[in-house]
Amino acid sequence: MNGTPTVFDEIFRLLTPERLLLDPRATGEGVAVAMIDGGVESSVLAAKHPQMHPIQGAIFRNDQPQPFPYLGHQSSPHGTTVADIILTMAPRVTLYSADVFGPTGTSEVDTVIRAIRHAIDVWNCKVINLSLGVPEAKLQQPAKRAQLLRTVEEAYYRDVLVFAAAHNEHPLTRSYPAAFAPPLISVDKGLFADPLDFAYALRETVEFQAHGRAYLGPFTREPATSWATPHLSGIAARLLSLRPEMKPFEIKTLLYWMFVARQSQESKAETPG
Amino acid sequence: MAETVLIVDDEEPVRRTFRDWLAQAGWGVNVVAIADAEAALKHAQDNPVDLAILDWNLGMGSDGLQLLEDLVEFHPDIVAIMVTGFAHQATPLDALRMGVRDYLDKNQELTRETFLAAVRKQLDRIAPAKHQREFTRGLLQFRESVGRILPLVQSTAALNDPVPLPEAVRHLFRFLVRLTGAADGAMVGRHITEDGTERFLAFSPDGKAIPTLAIPFGRSLAATVLSMNEPCLLMGEDLATLGPVDLQPFETNHEMLLAAPVVVADGTHVVIELFDKPGGFTAEDRRHLTGTTEFCTEILRNALAERQTQRLLINAVESALKASETAVGIANPAGLPDEVMDQLKTDLNRTANRVVDGETSLELAEAIRELAVRHGSSSVRHCLRLIGNVRDMLDELSGEWNG
Repeated sequence: MNGTPTVFDEIFRLLTPERLLLDPRATGEGVAVAMIDGGVESSVLAAKHPQMHPIQGAIFRNDQPQPFPYLGHQSSPHGTTVADIILTMAPRVTLYSADVFGPTGTSEVDTVIRAIRHAIDVWNCKVINLSLGVPEAKLQQPAKRAQLLRTVEEAYYRDVLVFAAAHNEHPLTRSYPAAFAPPLISVDKGLFADPLDFAYALRETVEFQAHGRAYLGPFTREPATSWATPHLSGIAARLLSLRPEMKPFEIKTLLYWMFVARQSQESKAETPG
Repeated sequence: MAETVLIVDDEEPVRRTFRDWLAQAGWGVNVVAIADAEAALKHAQDNPVDLAILDWNLGMGSDGLQLLEDLVEFHPDIVAIMVTGFAHQATPLDALRMGVRDYLDKNQELTRETFLAAVRKQLDRIAPAKHQREFTRGLLQFRESVGRILPLVQSTAALNDPVPLPEAVRHLFRFLVRLTGAADGAMVGRHITEDGTERFLAFSPDGKAIPTLAIPFGRSLAATVLSMNEPCLLMGEDLATLGPVDLQPFETNHEMLLAAPVVVADGTHVVIELFDKPGGFTAEDRRHLTGTTEFCTEILRNALAERQTQRLLINAVESALKASETAVGIANPAGLPDEVMDQLKTDLNRTANRVVDGETSLELAEAIRELAVRHGSSSVRHCLRLIGNVRDMLDELSGEWNG
């Protein structure tokens, strides 16, 4: 090891986060992404993203075991804003909307579990975005918690990446399913100049920080984990469109490497000479 | 209620003897002894009579059977024992039809033992039948009074309001508007009824209802705020980039909006919106709003729980009323009919924030009641300790409880 650059050093110099993310093929094409949220107003998104694939989906209700067909409408504007972020990050993903809020405006853990299973078994999604969470105080029953954990673990063992929003304003309060990290990727909010930027910020129940602002709707400037999560989901979809067979731990490693590589670039740029 | 025995005999020594025998028997029955038919009828008009011991020949031309026929007018369920010196002359079929259940023959062995045996035999038959009659009568009175009261209760506006916003919440809202210095505000409430009907309401800070909400909940600002789970600020250019959201008429023409969600229960949500503060809303305003909404959540949850309890009670009474239509068929008045139990289970399953199903709740309540009845309150305390121990053990095993 005499410090002389090798061919591998040359290869790694060429391989940068930007090269990966800005690759013309990194559009999310061929990647199925499920967003478990409040539904999507497809006409609003179609007007903003004319190149997008048609959105498919289903409506899950707390009191019905079988899902209802998705008719192109939202139960809450939140879902449309989340979908817009995913499409902004990865415009060619195949988006599936699992509307778990329905007319009551709230969702039970069982409904979320059914939606996750549907996304895995029926839609064969590779990425699941959960811009929602149940505060710890509201999910005390160990059995229910274990059921949700088993579902998240099942997703992991079936090579499905689950991104979940960490709790917004209570650093001491955990939120489920984000608290189940590491089988899923828990996302906190941050502010980045480039929406494709993100940070590895490991602490209890949080692994990554992503851009916390949105682009569609009235609360786009309000930093929120709800907006950060689809940013990272979209970035993962971009990477998966380059190598669709990548496993969750490989994606996570790649995300970690990209963050470290960017930091290294920044520190080099700041170093005089 | 003790049974009443009416003795009618024109011979004073007979009346006294019968009365003494009954008193000595110690059965606790009420005994009324009367000499003639007219006085007996006057008494029976205003007083209960369960068993009549009547002399066949009352003198003055009246007879016991005729008296019994008249007594039946006041007490259709009356039972009688006839005391006669010529029982063979009685017309058994007519007498039986009128309520005569036994004869005591003065000319045969009328002893203390035969008398008391005959009376005891009838009292033993009377008691359960009387109990059943009293139960049915009580049930009919209950049905009648509930039937009158229930519509009044149901039509009470407070109970029919699906989103009862207690006065305390309105006061708190007004206080918040003043505290933050907001120029105006609105409290938006949404409730989904059991049959899926949506009620979407809004109130101004003075508590008045804002008449029409033009935008459906799914496209409303309130729905977005609820999804955000925390106070949100909307300013200037945000109002131009509404995307999937439409503003209600009272939300338009404002420069800024600070809003926070109050999630009361499944299908019941409230959003507090504050408009236009000169100089803009501050971080402190946000904290005030957060604190207020947490307080509002508690008030509204308690109000809802109270309302659900009332509803539970009304539904239970309604189903009891329905079940009492077949009250004759209820073998055990102490037990609850299936209809009532089913209604209770259904309602308990609908209860907001429930953690166990209705059937389990009722089983637990019944087990505790039975335990208390059989073994007293100390056994219930022991049971509570056991439950506490199991809870502590599970908390320790799961290692998740943060108290």
